[in-house]
Amino acid sequence: MQTKKAMDTFVRETGGYTAAQLEACTRCGMCAEACHFYQATGNPEYAPVWKIELLKRAYEQRFTLAGKAKLALGIDKPISDEDLIHYSKIVYEACTLCNKCSMVCPMGIQLGPLIHEVRAGFSEAGVVPADLMAAVNKQVHEGSPLGVTDDVYENRMEWVADEWEVELPMDVKGADTLVVFSSIEIMKFPQNIAAIAKIMHAAGEKWTLSTKGREVVNFGFYEGNLDRTRMFIQRVFDAAKELGVKKIVVTECGHAYDALRWTAANIMEVPEGVEITHIVGLIGEYLRTGRIKLKAGAFDQDTITFHDACKIQRRGGHIREPREILGILAPHAFKEMSPNKEESVCCGGGGGVIAIKEADPVRYAAFELKIKQMQKAGAKTVVMSCSNCRLQFVDCVQHFDLDVEVAGLSQMVADALEE
Amino acid sequence: MAAFTITPVEKGIFRCRHTGPMSHEDVRSLASFLHDYRGKLLVDLRGTSGEECVTNLKNFRPMMPTTAIFGTNIDPAALEIEESYYTHEVRVFETEEEALTWLRNQ
Repeated sequence: MQTKKAMDTFVRETGGYTAAQLEACTRCGMCAEACHFYQATGNPEYAPVWKIELLKRAYEQRFTLAGKAKLALGIDKPISDEDLIHYSKIVYEACTLCNKCSMVCPMGIQLGPLIHEVRAGFSEAGVVPADLMAAVNKQVHEGSPLGVTDDVYENRMEWVADEWEVELPMDVKGADTLVVFSSIEIMKFPQNIAAIAKIMHAAGEKWTLSTKGREVVNFGFYEGNLDRTRMFIQRVFDAAKELGVKKIVVTECGHAYDALRWTAANIMEVPEGVEITHIVGLIGEYLRTGRIKLKAGAFDQDTITFHDACKIQRRGGHIREPREILGILAPHAFKEMSPNKEESVCCGGGGGVIAIKEADPVRYAAFELKIKQMQKAGAKTVVMSCSNCRLQFVDCVQHFDLDVEVAGLSQMVADALEE
Repeated sequence: MAAFTITPVEKGIFRCRHTGPMSHEDVRSLASFLHDYRGKLLVDLRGTSGEECVTNLKNFRPMMPTTAIFGTNIDPAALEIEESYYTHEVRVFETEEEALTWLRNQ
């Protein structure tokens, strides 16, 4: 029964574009070398090509003569419930949808989106890891995967405004810009909220927060469920429409940026004339236009490096801005890790992986690649623009007992603002 | 004088001792400490009232590492938080000895 739902979803998702990509795969295995989970463990099942195996088999068995013949002759087996359960662990626990695999594919196959389609099938079949599903359900019923209910949001924002002595405008109709935080920032990194408020204030931005559109994270997107992805995006879009803003700013969250900036336009109606940008892009714009000024060399002591987030830098293209910012703040201390920019290695915690307890061993294994990169760069501080990456770094720095400071880019900018 | 002091207890455990009312600067300093700290925490609230501390404890609760609290009457219900992948366990104990014993076993 589970299998039928997954198969139907795979088939439904397999339009001409997907079919062409599946046909184009020569199984050369180059994608494996790009996958941090494969690199870290050597487990051949973590190769991206293997992660789309069920999608490929479903396509072949339903649509190709060879696939039908193989099935009839018993050379290939029908996809079973056991297959779904087995692949579910691989696709949710050992893939962050970072899409680095697509960078090396000689056929130009977009493996990340294909793996996302596999997750869509698993979501329909109900074979999503329990921890991830619990977070999804919380977001459906409470508005946040991390328990940021209406009351928690209100209390937390009041606390930040009071203790950090910043103004946090709420539900201001006619504001130009709606800023939406992730619940990780609200619960774990409240300094980020204060930092972004300071930056907005310094830039003279007419901005607001929203009690209705208060969660930018999208666990439906991690799950691969189209309806829930839409539902969570819609809450933000409704708030933007109600407040009449011209811009939505996604704060330090990578997947939320992907969901709002690109995925939304492909799956639902997006508010007309509303620009969607990431806080890093906005800070870059403020700097270029002189709306904010930073104290040159404010962090120019021990070596600082920057971790490029998959969805903000590789996919989002915000590669230049962090380097411009760090070029001002740490002109001598800033040193790149290698590889970097669009070829950066994922932190290992994205795509919902950090929310799945059973994925901890493989998540930590993948992070060891980042440790090597940081150590090679001689970094004492690692900066990033994604709170999910930051949570992974903070957790792993403790797990591996590393002597590295973890910092958010917005916070550094706020701390270095010229009065 | 700061509203709290941070001192090492032993490898992997620091003591956070509450010493007076928390100013805005104290709250921000403690938030920075909790962000950067990688070990377990022993929160020593001797000499304070639970009422005085409970609001701050509630606000800091999501940011706390594995923590044992002792030294004053705190209703454990005030520290309850939805379990999630980013949270750590926080418990209230009667005595320092009990708190440290539990912390060492975490």
